[in-house]
Amino acid sequence: MEFNNYTIKELSSLLRNKEISAVELTEMYLKRIKAKDVQINSFITVCEDTAREMARKAQQAIDRGEVGQLAGIPVSVKDNICTTQIPTTCASKMLENFVSPFDATAVDRLKNNYAVMLGKTNMDEFAIGCTSQRSVFGGVKNPHSTDFSPGGSSGGAAAGVAAGFCAAALGSDTGGSVRQPAALCGVTGLRPTYGTVSRYGLVAFASSFDQIGPIARSAEDCGILLSAIAGKDFYDNTTVELANTEYNSKIGSSIKGLTIGVPAEFFGEEIDDEVKTIVMNAAKQYESMGCTLKEVSLPSFKYALSAYYLISSAEASSNMGRYDGIKFGYRSLNGDTYDELIKNTRTEAFGDEVKRRIMLGNYVLSKENYNALFVKSQQVRAKIKEDFKNIFDTCDCIITPTTPHSAYKIGELESTPVKMYSANICTVPVSVAGLPAINTPCGYDKNGMPVGMSIVGRAFDESTIIMLADAFERSFVRREPAI
Amino acid sequence: MKYRTVIGLEIHAELLTKSKAFCTCSAEFGGGENTKVCPGCAGFPGTLPIFNQGAVTLAVKAGLALNCQINKYSVFDRKNYFYPDLPSAYQISQYEYPICTNGYIDIGGKRIRINRIHIEEDAGKLVHDDLEGVSLADYNRSGVPLIEIVTEPDISSAEEAREFVEQVAQRLKYAGVCDAKMEEGSLRCDVNISIMPYDATEFGTRTEIKNLNSFKSIVRAIEYEYQRQCDLLESGKKVIRQTLHFNENHGTTKPLRSKEEAHDYRYFPDADIPAVLLTDEDIEKIKATMPELPDSRIKRYTEEYSLPFADAKLLVSEKALSDFYDEAVKVYPAYKQVSNMVLVELLRRLNDTGASIDELKFTPAQLAELVKLSDEGTVSKNAAKDILLIMFEQGGHPLDIAEKNGFIIKDDIELIEKTADEILAENPKAVAEYKEGSQKVFGFLMGQMFKKIGKSASPQTVKEILNKKLSNL
Repeated sequence: MEFNNYTIKELSSLLRNKEISAVELTEMYLKRIKAKDVQINSFITVCEDTAREMARKAQQAIDRGEVGQLAGIPVSVKDNICTTQIPTTCASKMLENFVSPFDATAVDRLKNNYAVMLGKTNMDEFAIGCTSQRSVFGGVKNPHSTDFSPGGSSGGAAAGVAAGFCAAALGSDTGGSVRQPAALCGVTGLRPTYGTVSRYGLVAFASSFDQIGPIARSAEDCGILLSAIAGKDFYDNTTVELANTEYNSKIGSSIKGLTIGVPAEFFGEEIDDEVKTIVMNAAKQYESMGCTLKEVSLPSFKYALSAYYLISSAEASSNMGRYDGIKFGYRSLNGDTYDELIKNTRTEAFGDEVKRRIMLGNYVLSKENYNALFVKSQQVRAKIKEDFKNIFDTCDCIITPTTPHSAYKIGELESTPVKMYSANICTVPVSVAGLPAINTPCGYDKNGMPVGMSIVGRAFDESTIIMLADAFERSFVRREPAI
Repeated sequence: MKYRTVIGLEIHAELLTKSKAFCTCSAEFGGGENTKVCPGCAGFPGTLPIFNQGAVTLAVKAGLALNCQINKYSVFDRKNYFYPDLPSAYQISQYEYPICTNGYIDIGGKRIRINRIHIEEDAGKLVHDDLEGVSLADYNRSGVPLIEIVTEPDISSAEEAREFVEQVAQRLKYAGVCDAKMEEGSLRCDVNISIMPYDATEFGTRTEIKNLNSFKSIVRAIEYEYQRQCDLLESGKKVIRQTLHFNENHGTTKPLRSKEEAHDYRYFPDADIPAVLLTDEDIEKIKATMPELPDSRIKRYTEEYSLPFADAKLLVSEKALSDFYDEAVKVYPAYKQVSNMVLVELLRRLNDTGASIDELKFTPAQLAELVKLSDEGTVSKNAAKDILLIMFEQGGHPLDIAEKNGFIIKDDIELIEKTADEILAENPKAVAEYKEGSQKVFGFLMGQMFKKIGKSASPQTVKEILNKKLSNL
């Protein structure tokens, strides 16, 4: 029997009822990865030994009756989230052999819940990108059709869940890196409100946007993961004290009478017609479940992408400074002086897109441009937050397409950066505002590739969007990739 | 002197927090290389700054000690540059919104304005091994919290600069902000200096002398640089804006980095650290913990206690000394007498032994008691000095010591008279000289008296009796 299409909830009850042991389950997933991930390349590292060890411990905990829903559940962790014992490469030559001296808080909390980490997933280098092709370990393929990109940067995480290599995954979302690949791979992915999940141990890309988020086979599973990893952390001053981290508490409640905003700007000409139709149909389904659809507007939408790329690149340019070849990671063999050594190290070990963002960021922060670009972008950011706030005065949540287009063919976007940046046009405004959003699959295009919708919530109101996504998922039939 | 000097200072002071500014490593000075380092202060991927609130409290105290406005909103920024002693390639500092602004201190009636005080982190240290041809990085200092105090260009001489830095150092020590040990680098000073003709209205081109680490160096560097700039202008050349290093051995300045001008630090707010928000209540709370500062103490000592200015200044030179004095006069408010005992006798013992006030084996109240015993004539002044020495060496209560050593003045008239008779009989030559009008010899006879009686007689009584006996002869 194979369990690769099972949700956490289903697996958890099998484990609890002793129909399968955590060790057996782990072996099954490891075997599947070994056999099939050559087609997808979703993992950078598979840690068989530590996974087996964790499974044994999980089983002991289950036998003792100390079982949370995550005990014994095989999960993956994106390779920009720090783990001891096994490398954290960020899919970069710079950190190809880097092993962190500490576990990220999110990883630590998964371990405390006896989840079993199978390995680290592939991604765009340093989480910068949206195709998962910019990895020093080679690109990731979409399990629904290997000619297509899985999206990114958490492409390995989403593809791995879609392909049944793990029950759930931790990804990271800066401008859409959880939601977009989840949409393109046909799985559920959640970006939490900024400040919900500790960033300690998440290798920084753009500090004011980065959040770790779950990717899973259902909204409920995302809620299980989020409940385990969320909450105040001493090691991250931007985390918030949360009153309630039981994110599935609203699941199954009536959604009748809720008002769902449909912002016109997210259904404009940049959005593919097929995607528009599929998402609008999904929205109408909520109407049939008793919700009210309300047309709303986010006037600052058109500035969001520029503001996001300017601020995030500025932050990235600073965050990437620490990679100088002195203390850890790659060091060039050439260079007699510090200046030469660091120049050669960075030239040799960073990929083109990382370099592009560093240059863009330095340009934004330079004295001459700071006011016109950085300060201006921060003003746009404030405006976007305000626009969202206005919408939430009358709406309980917002529905948008997650991506302007279903999956692109591998190689289609990589050579045209601006077109590539536009692939995040629907996810970026939410990141800029720091709000939570969940992607859930809501249809398939003419090629059979998945299309996702995003439900955006009020700050720290993940429970409502999880409840809404769950309500939709109950009647939606997902197509499993033929892998 | 055709030119006047215009000087502005940037003083870096290490804050006396137990741990570093953005991690839990110890901020203590010393220890083996890289023993006070964690992934955070070594700039490892995935680490975040964990802000030490203690740094805010101390920076606010510094602001209060230097008459600054305390800002209720301040922000941390990143200052980006590559250097191997800077592990994350950015220094966390405050740029647009510093914690304190608009302060001043008065030096000899002149007001030196302070532009700002901001919090930042120190960098690590590079150790160069020329023999091996390698440089090694020690990150023990990396992340230690500093404040930078920036003055307006209000200082006009080397002496004034020294006086200012001394005052700042003293106030920071009083407030418990910084131990201000220049030799250990916990207080360092950058000097911005330019010269201009007396009748000019525009500042000249300035140079910056980096990292001066003694009061002497500050004075020497300014004097040298003033002369160098004068010589340049006199010979028709121009002063170039540059950063200089002061060589202590040669007493000269030398350009440090020519690229300095091209530096663009790309400051921007650090999203990892929430803005620091202070309420009036927070500031009042910190204010309540501030000790009385040296200038106020000098005022109190000279105006209320009528001490000479020089004495008052000496008393406040060290907070512990001044605190000790204040405790003592609380018990026995004979201001001048207690001050004399502290400044003459106690300081002498401390200087002789190199001990500090904190190590004393007796309390301020016991010192006050001793002064009182002397003032009331229970012991003689000389005996009081001996008692202090014993207290200094062994501790103990002054009255006990006086009793144990027979220092209590008993004035046994019979004994004194008997002794006087003996002394006069034993020294006929001296008596004869006295009769011939020599006053000097009276002192000798007094000395002989005390040799026999010991310290239990008061000089006054002995003198009276000796006089009586001599005139009766």
